[in-house]
Amino acid sequence: MIRVRDIRKSFGSIAAVDGVTFDVHHGEIFGLLGPNGAGKSTAIAMCTGQSAPDSGSIEIGEAGSPRAARARALIGLAPQQIALYEELTARENLVFLARVHGVPEPVRRADELLDMVGLLPRARDRVATFSGGMQRRLNLAAALVHNPTAIFLDEPTAGVDPQSRTAILDVVQRLATEGRAVIYTTHYMEEAQRICSRVAVMDRGRVLAIGTVAELIAAHGGESVVTVDSLAGEHRVRTREPLREIERALAEGGVTAVRIEQPDLEMVFLALTGRRLRD
Amino acid sequence: MRAAVFLALKDLRLLLRDRAAAFFTFVFPLAIALFFGYVFSGTTSEPLHVAAFVEQPSPAAAMLIKALDEDGGFKLTVTDARAAGEQLVRSGGAVALLIVPATYAEGIDGVFSGGGAKLGLVVDPSRRAEGAMLVGKIHEVAFRTVFAAVGDPVQFARVLDRMEESLKASDFSFTDRLAIRTALSRARAMSAQGADGSAATQPQSLADWKPVSVEIAELSMRPGVPANSFAISFMQGIAWALFGAVLSFGSGIAEERQRGTLVRLLVSPMSPNQILFGKALACFVTCLATEWMLVFFGMFLFRVEVSHWPLMVVVTLVTAFGFSGIMMLLAAGFRTQGGAQGAGRAVLLVLAMIGGGTVPIVFMPPFLRVASNLSPFKWAVMAAEGATWRSWGMSEMLLPLAVLTAIGVFGLTVGTALVRRSI
Repeated sequence: MIRVRDIRKSFGSIAAVDGVTFDVHHGEIFGLLGPNGAGKSTAIAMCTGQSAPDSGSIEIGEAGSPRAARARALIGLAPQQIALYEELTARENLVFLARVHGVPEPVRRADELLDMVGLLPRARDRVATFSGGMQRRLNLAAALVHNPTAIFLDEPTAGVDPQSRTAILDVVQRLATEGRAVIYTTHYMEEAQRICSRVAVMDRGRVLAIGTVAELIAAHGGESVVTVDSLAGEHRVRTREPLREIERALAEGGVTAVRIEQPDLEMVFLALTGRRLRD
Repeated sequence: MRAAVFLALKDLRLLLRDRAAAFFTFVFPLAIALFFGYVFSGTTSEPLHVAAFVEQPSPAAAMLIKALDEDGGFKLTVTDARAAGEQLVRSGGAVALLIVPATYAEGIDGVFSGGGAKLGLVVDPSRRAEGAMLVGKIHEVAFRTVFAAVGDPVQFARVLDRMEESLKASDFSFTDRLAIRTALSRARAMSAQGADGSAATQPQSLADWKPVSVEIAELSMRPGVPANSFAISFMQGIAWALFGAVLSFGSGIAEERQRGTLVRLLVSPMSPNQILFGKALACFVTCLATEWMLVFFGMFLFRVEVSHWPLMVVVTLVTAFGFSGIMMLLAAGFRTQGGAQGAGRAVLLVLAMIGGGTVPIVFMPPFLRVASNLSPFKWAVMAAEGATWRSWGMSEMLLPLAVLTAIGVFGLTVGTALVRRSI
């Protein structure tokens, strides 16, 4: 659905995006992970047609370049910054965007989306009166008014309460199950591990690794730590095959407890870049 | 196109939701128009400014003018000619012109013998209320002067002479005539006795009697002369309406950028040109709405007259177009809302002021009048005046309309190109 090939974008002498390539398929949630300045937002800006790459190509389905109006009709974007009209009500915001996109029955569509993100009871309230979490949910709904098939969510859970975070992640998973291609950027590794089918780790404008979460952990996360408590005392082992280590300990007998510390995406990032994600 | 219209409607809704912006766009221009209208009309708690013209000097007329002048309720300007007095009213320098006709003295002489004095009052039609108040005051002063006149033995003797002449011509019986003559003789004797100042007292039974009648006429306002001060101030108000609209929408692009919604619009199927068209359309509609709001307010409440309706329509359309161009230039110049509003306010304020937004251009010193040519507000106000009290035809209107059109074309072309580069 989304096909990105060797895109590059520089601002002066700084290469914000430097040869990024990936594909995102229907029904897939593709995570773009990286610290601030990694090039995620610049890549999203190019993928959504806000700016043109210096070189390389981007295609949205059969519609081609995202700078073409036909392709933009397929794109939904929830920007990192909450992009809503605070003086308008929740419904007015969505109805306006639906009209701009030429959606038939814009009010009905707005109410559908408000219901989906749990804001229908607040439909007539001005956005300025909403909490940060509610604004984030509405920001996500605004990206969906025209039923897009390529959805770009730029840190959609930044700074929200746990309840809103759960609601947003549920909606994102639902979008994927409906067959849409979702590109999801985040700082939160646990979110990416929970919802992303595949992940690309970015740093300094480049994709350092790409694959499923399990593949990345297996390739770059290092060994698991297995801790076995037995009558003989505590025994810690670093291994790439923790289950085999546990089986061996159980066969020896006297085991009272077993703990496995598995590597995660944070460790993958540390291994790939030498720094923590939120440094 | 439909998307651009929805964008414009959204911007208009946002404008109405923003109380400060709505105030400066719709209420402030009206307040300015009313303020300057009243300032220039002299409607204050000070004495009523009245022009007076005496057709033929006489002691009675002089007494009336003196009494009016000393009354304190008037500020009297006696003119040498009726036309001069009317001009004073037309220019807003006086509420009305009091005309003391040549027959006034004769009327006073015959005040007790079936005659009576007449005065004329030519009133500014927009100031009828003050005119009515003025009539009451004139009656009061005239009443005093008539009784002061009959308190003068010489004047009273003339009055009695007129009454005796009337008696001769009447068909009263001999006995009636005798009785009246006796009364008149006594009155003559009393008047002579009262020459020391004790006789001229006002009879209580005549309290409601009006020895002087005042005929009121409304001044016909000649083309090329404002009917009243509001005809000028409401056209000035248009400058402030345009100021508010340009300032509100000139920062609109920067505002969309700052709140992140510009990204949403750019990702939508709307092209950047459509987005800018929507912005310009909202400004255009607001300019039009505020212009017509002022015209209608002026018409219905302050008798501002539109001399040429089709031209007025053209003027408002062209003015709205021109100022939409200025809005686009302002939008192109600044990336932040604060920058656009701050700089816009500073530049537009100066242009509005030298363009006749505060002091009408006709009252400006010559160098400022020349400088005002640089202000688009001057051309907008001039065009609006042309379609109202100046009663211009198309040939006179061509220059301001051409200037405004050129400003619009330049602003929209250059502004759009610059904004497109920045987004």
